[in-house]
Amino acid sequence: MKPLTFQLTAKPPCRVDASPLLPTALAGKSRNELARLRLLGWNESYPAGELFAISGEDSTQVVLEGLEGSLVRVGAGLNGGELTVVGHAGDYAGESMRRGALVVRGSAGEYVGAGMRGGTLTVSGDVGAFAGSGRAGEVHGMAGGRIVVRGSAGDRAGDRMRRGLLLVEGNVGRYCAARMVAGTAVVLGSVGTHPGYLMRRGTLLLADRAVELLPTFNDNGRHRLLAIRLLLASLAQYGPGFRRFARRVEFARWLGDLGSEGMGEVLIAQ
Amino acid sequence: MSELTIDGVTIEDTFAEAFGMRATRLIVTAASRAWVRHAASSVTGFATSVIACGCEAGVERELAPRETPDGRPGVSILIFAMSTKELQKQLERRAGQCVLTCPTTAAYGGVPSEAAREWLALGSRLRYFGDGYQISKLIDGKRYWRIPVMDGEFVCEEKVGLVKSIGGGNFLILARDPPAALAAAERAVAAMRKVPSIILPFPGGVVRSGSKVGSKYKALLASTNDAYCPTLKGLTRSNLPRAAGGVLEIVIDGLDADSIRLAMREGIRAACTRGSEAGVVAISAGNYGGKLGPHHFHLKEVLA
Repeated sequence: MKPLTFQLTAKPPCRVDASPLLPTALAGKSRNELARLRLLGWNESYPAGELFAISGEDSTQVVLEGLEGSLVRVGAGLNGGELTVVGHAGDYAGESMRRGALVVRGSAGEYVGAGMRGGTLTVSGDVGAFAGSGRAGEVHGMAGGRIVVRGSAGDRAGDRMRRGLLLVEGNVGRYCAARMVAGTAVVLGSVGTHPGYLMRRGTLLLADRAVELLPTFNDNGRHRLLAIRLLLASLAQYGPGFRRFARRVEFARWLGDLGSEGMGEVLIAQ
Repeated sequence: MSELTIDGVTIEDTFAEAFGMRATRLIVTAASRAWVRHAASSVTGFATSVIACGCEAGVERELAPRETPDGRPGVSILIFAMSTKELQKQLERRAGQCVLTCPTTAAYGGVPSEAAREWLALGSRLRYFGDGYQISKLIDGKRYWRIPVMDGEFVCEEKVGLVKSIGGGNFLILARDPPAALAAAERAVAAMRKVPSIILPFPGGVVRSGSKVGSKYKALLASTNDAYCPTLKGLTRSNLPRAAGGVLEIVIDGLDADSIRLAMREGIRAACTRGSEAGVVAISAGNYGGKLGPHHFHLKEVLA
């Protein structure tokens, strides 16, 4: 069976919430029912049939094609199956997802994977600010699952992260892993200012030796830690960039942020 | 039924009686093979019999670096106890006192999650040694604890799987004299060590003090198996043939009946190598008339 495909044919006049287009929610629906699905915009809703050309049958694999950022909350609340986005996935892609795989072949906006609890979110391009964080007003950011960004991420990646794995193959902006509570964030590219700002616990693993840490981090020396070896070995599954990074054995370890609980660690590959 | 013999050694028509236990497999790694062995000998020390040790433990096999979670030399250790509660206690004590303390070591669960019937706490208990400085790390769905110690960090998995298992598989080597019994036992142990999923918990894999249930002294749960003591022939109701002057027992704990059966077969065949010429008179097995445990390993079936 061919994947159930929604090809965007008409650009909506406002941002439209695409969160109903989940594999589990679409299972068992007829073509007519799919076309009548209402997607919420600002003050009105749009039938899916007006925005998309719908084809294919296999609802365990849903494909959204031709997206250009006007849809938001793509894959939000995903709880199983595979959702593929081709184009720009917009803001809040994969927000609060729990299971399954969200694959973005392209880029995504802000708050990618915000508050996610499980599953795997992969973006082949860049993402905006607040990747893996929590929405405004929420206590914690992502609390499980994996976010893999092949490109770069904006400011505040991993903000208030509680659990899970955030991998960025490119660069990150300012305040990466700020207020992190736990979990692991890995950045292979360059890192903006204030990494780990007020982080309480958790691990920030960096390849950028030129990174400038805050004075509230204490030098813990150079280490070859077994736990990091285990972590690196598992990262190798995420592609050649991480496989190369997994060969690094010695890390400069900084502990902080002492302006907060101070139990976090920033490890910089040597 | 005709008498079964191997190279002139009589295989008695009897059975080994075994009982249900709880077990876990612990993988211990270290920076070198030497430190792996130090840890393993410590963890499995004083763990010959549940009669007084709390558990029975032994090395299942040594692991090459490619077989361990962290790519270092390792060892697979099996620990057996009579109850989940006792196994939890023994695991925690032994890992805490013998692995955590041993330089460069790390500890992981060795029971696949799909096989685990229950979970025993490992790192989730040992972490308290970190006095608040411990760090947990979730890697590929498994939670590990990083406990700061003086040579860096002790890494261990949060929990290890428990499986139902069998303890007390055994056979007795009845030989012309003690040296012949010992030589046969050594041959048997060497062959049995190659069988996976089993351990031979006694020193060198061999028991000289086979026991019977009960004693004339009220305080003792078990006492010498007088029916197989050569020095009591003529005094007690001996089970020994006239030619037998030395007896040794091999006890086997295993994760399943097939592994115990295979180990017994390999062991008995090795013990009977060169048969009567090597001084081996007969092979027997210890049982309590079927009253002790539900698992009966009939020697003739094992060797069939």
